[in-house]
Amino acid sequence: MADLSKSFRPFVTWAGARGAWPDMIFSTRVRFARNLRGFPFPNRAGPRQLAEIRRLALAAARETGLFPGGHYVKMETLGPLERRFLVERHLVSHALAAALLPAGAAISGEEDLSAMINEEDHLRLQCLSSGFAIEEAFKAALKLDEALGRELPFAYGDKFGFLTACPTNAGTGMRVSCLAHLPALSRLGRMPQVLESLSHLGVTARGIYGEGTYVLGDFYQISNATCLGRGEEDFCGSIDRVIRNLIRQEISARETLVGDPFRLKTEDAVFRALGLLRHARTLSYEEFMQNLSLVRMGAALGWAMGADFSTFNQVTLLLQPAHIQAAAGRELDPAGRDAYRADYLRGKLG
Amino acid sequence: MLCEECREKSAVVFLKLAVNNKVTELHLCPACAAKKGMGFGLETGAFNISDIVGNMSGYFKDFLPVEKKTLRCGACGLKYSEFKETGRLGCPDCYAGFEEQLTELMTRIHGASRHSGRVYRGGPAPKLSKAETARRLEELRAALKDAVAKEDFEAAARLRDEMKRSDG
Repeated sequence: MADLSKSFRPFVTWAGARGAWPDMIFSTRVRFARNLRGFPFPNRAGPRQLAEIRRLALAAARETGLFPGGHYVKMETLGPLERRFLVERHLVSHALAAALLPAGAAISGEEDLSAMINEEDHLRLQCLSSGFAIEEAFKAALKLDEALGRELPFAYGDKFGFLTACPTNAGTGMRVSCLAHLPALSRLGRMPQVLESLSHLGVTARGIYGEGTYVLGDFYQISNATCLGRGEEDFCGSIDRVIRNLIRQEISARETLVGDPFRLKTEDAVFRALGLLRHARTLSYEEFMQNLSLVRMGAALGWAMGADFSTFNQVTLLLQPAHIQAAAGRELDPAGRDAYRADYLRGKLG
Repeated sequence: MLCEECREKSAVVFLKLAVNNKVTELHLCPACAAKKGMGFGLETGAFNISDIVGNMSGYFKDFLPVEKKTLRCGACGLKYSEFKETGRLGCPDCYAGFEEQLTELMTRIHGASRHSGRVYRGGPAPKLSKAETARRLEELRAALKDAVAKEDFEAAARLRDEMKRSDG
């Protein structure tokens, strides 16, 4: 079984439910797409050039001093479970984990800062913060960007800004996203209209793992759809306004769910979900997430759910398949994982 | 309910996807789901759906202006037609090579065609490995030969200067 997971902390700081509205905003992420001048983009670079880019990037990352207790990872040295572990941890993308050519990542000990190397772009720099914390995440990501930009020559032009493999990321190269938990809007069937209205605001909603992933446990990643033509703070401000608006809508949906005629039905659904999570003997991750969504909402409504948001957030990460196997210390088949997951959760939900 | 892919077996895999700000549902049989590489990803949602819903390239095909077939990036050799196909540029210099076309595309994507965020002042030249330096010199040498053969002496002079710089 993967050794890599052992070097990661059992408590994931950015999922610690700190910050504003931890019941609705799981985490905030700011990422910058950057490339090195003088090299082709990863899709057109050969193995040697990719290795060279990674060597330069890892050395520069160390030089910044921003990755204390850091992990410096070469993807091809990792087994499939270790790669999945990093994906589940939101530290590398699915695409990077699938890389066959030289790719890697630099990850700080706290896991708040990371740099993916040779994904779609040479560098994808990200900062993850707990809760609704756009300014905090932006400042930290910018600090990393500026520090690395002093070590390496980024590809940049006055007209198109930071140059990226896909023109959708050029300009600021920035994406600001909040992972929002919207169970009441989902339950009332209002999400289609909400998503529709977001598309008019230059905002995109995706599933929990970002691009091309499906909606799990009523979690939506809300981020800016464009990143050129306006300043970084301006894009941050737009997402900030959209998220505040979403929070207001979710609060109002929750009020609807606890008023007449929905209250009894809502209570019933929430406590049934809690019962299931507390007593199930096998539990798939999807079933866990569906029920956790209701339990999270119950806790937000002030009902006794036997755990706090920090615990909910931690188990959301720690009960994923590769994490379950890391905790078990061995490879498990799906049935084995489902049994282990149910046991593990019973220990956490009192 | 039948699998939406093969329309033969019954669908047991139900996926809710957020694509283009719309929630769409997808119903597949296990075999078709596995074919789409969702074996493991199903549990966490961590799989790529680009092959299910069509990737960015379709988008670009519709929006990019038609160009003569010969247009290509002078630095990496990427053909404009290849960019239209894949939606991915080959190197930072492609932005200069396809500037006119990209200006139009950027307006469609971003609603603007000029960066107005942070200005980057440039970083140091990286300490390249010997192999990479040698590779770049070889590239320049070939380009120089080509320029001389075409009697493009302006380009040849520029390439010669560049070779001097990278050799030093």
